[in-house]
Amino acid sequence: MRINGYAPIRDYAVIGDGRTTALVARDGAIDWLCLPDADSPPVFDRILDSDEGGAFQLQPVDEFETERRYREGSNVLETVFRTAAGSVRVTDAMTCADRTVSSPMRQVVRLVEGLSGRVQMRWTIAPRFDFGRQRVRIDDRGGHIVVQAGRNALALGAWGAGDPAASPDGISGEFLAEHGHHGGLSLASAHGEPLVFAGFDHAREALDRTDRFWREWSARAEYDGPWREAVVRSALVLKLLVYSPSGAIVAAPTTSLPERIGGERNWDYRFTWLRDASWTLDALLRLGYDEEAKAFFWWLMHATRLTQPELHVLYRIDGGVQRREREIDGAPGYRSSAPVRVGNGAASQVQLDLYGSVLDGIARYADEVGRIDGDTGKELAKVADYVAKIWREPDCGIWEIRSEPAHYTQSKAMCWLALHQASHLAEQGVLPDHRETWDRAAEEAKRFYDEHGWDEELGSYVRAPNLRELDASLLTLSLLDCMDPRSERMVRTIDAVRRHLAEGPFVYRYRGGDGLPQGEGAFLACSFWLAAALARAGRGAEAVELMEQLLAAGNDVGLYSEEIDPGTGEFLGNFPQGLTHLALVNAAVAITEADE
Amino acid sequence: MILWGSLAGGVVGTIVLTSTLRLSQELGLTRMDLPLLLGTMFSEDRRRANVIGYAVHFVNGLLFSLAYAGIFEAVGRGGWDVGLILGAAHALFAGGALVTVLLPAIHPRMGTPWTDAEETPLLEAPGFLLHNYGRSTAVVTLVMHLAYGAIVGAFAAGF
Repeated sequence: MRINGYAPIRDYAVIGDGRTTALVARDGAIDWLCLPDADSPPVFDRILDSDEGGAFQLQPVDEFETERRYREGSNVLETVFRTAAGSVRVTDAMTCADRTVSSPMRQVVRLVEGLSGRVQMRWTIAPRFDFGRQRVRIDDRGGHIVVQAGRNALALGAWGAGDPAASPDGISGEFLAEHGHHGGLSLASAHGEPLVFAGFDHAREALDRTDRFWREWSARAEYDGPWREAVVRSALVLKLLVYSPSGAIVAAPTTSLPERIGGERNWDYRFTWLRDASWTLDALLRLGYDEEAKAFFWWLMHATRLTQPELHVLYRIDGGVQRREREIDGAPGYRSSAPVRVGNGAASQVQLDLYGSVLDGIARYADEVGRIDGDTGKELAKVADYVAKIWREPDCGIWEIRSEPAHYTQSKAMCWLALHQASHLAEQGVLPDHRETWDRAAEEAKRFYDEHGWDEELGSYVRAPNLRELDASLLTLSLLDCMDPRSERMVRTIDAVRRHLAEGPFVYRYRGGDGLPQGEGAFLACSFWLAAALARAGRGAEAVELMEQLLAAGNDVGLYSEEIDPGTGEFLGNFPQGLTHLALVNAAVAITEADE
Repeated sequence: MILWGSLAGGVVGTIVLTSTLRLSQELGLTRMDLPLLLGTMFSEDRRRANVIGYAVHFVNGLLFSLAYAGIFEAVGRGGWDVGLILGAAHALFAGGALVTVLLPAIHPRMGTPWTDAEETPLLEAPGFLLHNYGRSTAVVTLVMHLAYGAIVGAFAAGF
């Protein structure tokens, strides 16, 4: 049920083609779609502006209930609408192109099938380019309706879906779907090139071919534990977040879905965070997706080429350094959660933990996929030298705190990890041998967080020497082997995190200040980290119980956002969130391995 | 004279162009690595790709100097000034059609705006005027090719 025109975040499913994604609500509306790429301005943005935002609605005219699912092992979505007069199935996908001229550059296909009775259906397409800042022209060109805005153009195909009626505000139509009816709509797009008008048969074939590709791809997932369905769904989500032309992975395909309803914690996640490198490479390799891991590694080394040895927090998916953060004037934001931001100010922060993530990810890649060439080895050695020089500096930490930088315990531990993994790679001859420098710095970093990052009274590692409070990111010390997962300190930290930060199965990041008004949901990735940390500590039964609770918290099609309100189960933050799905995969694997 | 002068200029110009590009990479002006881009057409191994890429790039430099020689013959003279004009046109061609459109179309390991979930390329496409490889890449490309053109032109004219 929509609130002031906004569907709950939990109500969305995602479809995509490896370049961009669309969010489809349970009521059949596509409320978010950026074209041509995931980080391009949106064409449909009703998720951020229920009054003026663009959308592609397709639903029964009469009152209805819905039931939906992804086709097994696929990113093709099926929604069944049931009304008093009958039922209709809508199948949604963004299709992968074949290599012929009849394939549009991007294409959303929505097939309609009458299952029973007679259902009057209505559809409306209201495109709004770049938050309404581009003038839109809609023309009827003798049977083809074309939408133009700057370099972007859309072509509508409608078959057995009524006569399209074009107006300055959009295009709409109505039709009767009886039992056995087959029809459909296609929205093809072009960006700075001629449009392709796809036919009905082509649209159906493209959807079938895309479905086959997803099934074959997901069948390759090498996980045979008890949670295969959830793991495969997460893998499929992660594959949707991969920007195929470069191999980069966006953190989430949306911007400014709020961490607190009505709040200002609204960020643009359509970038690649280097912090996620370790989790990403680990998850891809563990699931057997070596090609995707290799593409991501190549992107990583190429994207960071201009800034090495310093690494930026995040990069654009085309490998560039991201543009400045700005606010969209006049956009009300999801349920009045303003501002709507484009770009991300965290890009200019110093965050030391990402060096640990990058070097750890590369070490895992080198161990499992293959060798790293000499030039890349030299570049990585310079990065490790840089870490040995700067690990003593304060930083903004894993949570990108916008208040004063501090000496975050987790950041120091991750610096240790960076130096430790650099030594490991040098030992194998992958990196030039600077082990003396790296080992000395690693030893000092470890001594620092062991002496200053531990609080005996709390019985836990703490956020920072001057911030004696819990922080769920400290669970990563176990997951990334910065600490022995079964050591007394690690076990006590796990218990302290549960005591102080958990509400039911859900774990908050921290309770202290961060320079922004208080109040956000529990962080789902931290919740999965806790399950993995419990498993690694040898507490398998607790880990399994927690994992089951967390899996029950996903939405009806197995997707997760960044955060959740533990009281209501409402999803918060950008959606679907790559880090949450990475944490799910890694937790499932960790628990299954611990069980074995 | 023009032919042999252009070829000699092609050797020197290619060395200067390649060195300028490498220097620009080290100075953090661009992520473009032409030898790597060319070499990865033949090998996924970066070290081998680099070696092959340098060889291909060198041969390309000589072939382009032959094309320059043909134009010098057609207009009746060489000279650094004519070479400069050809260098500018060469930069436009390289940064526009050659690397932006043709290379991604034939490169087996490079993504294009059309690459979708079914493929996992290893190299990102350069983008319009090579902007994906850093904002200064277009300027670096122009300067490199102006230098190349001026050198080939000067050699063709016998200084």
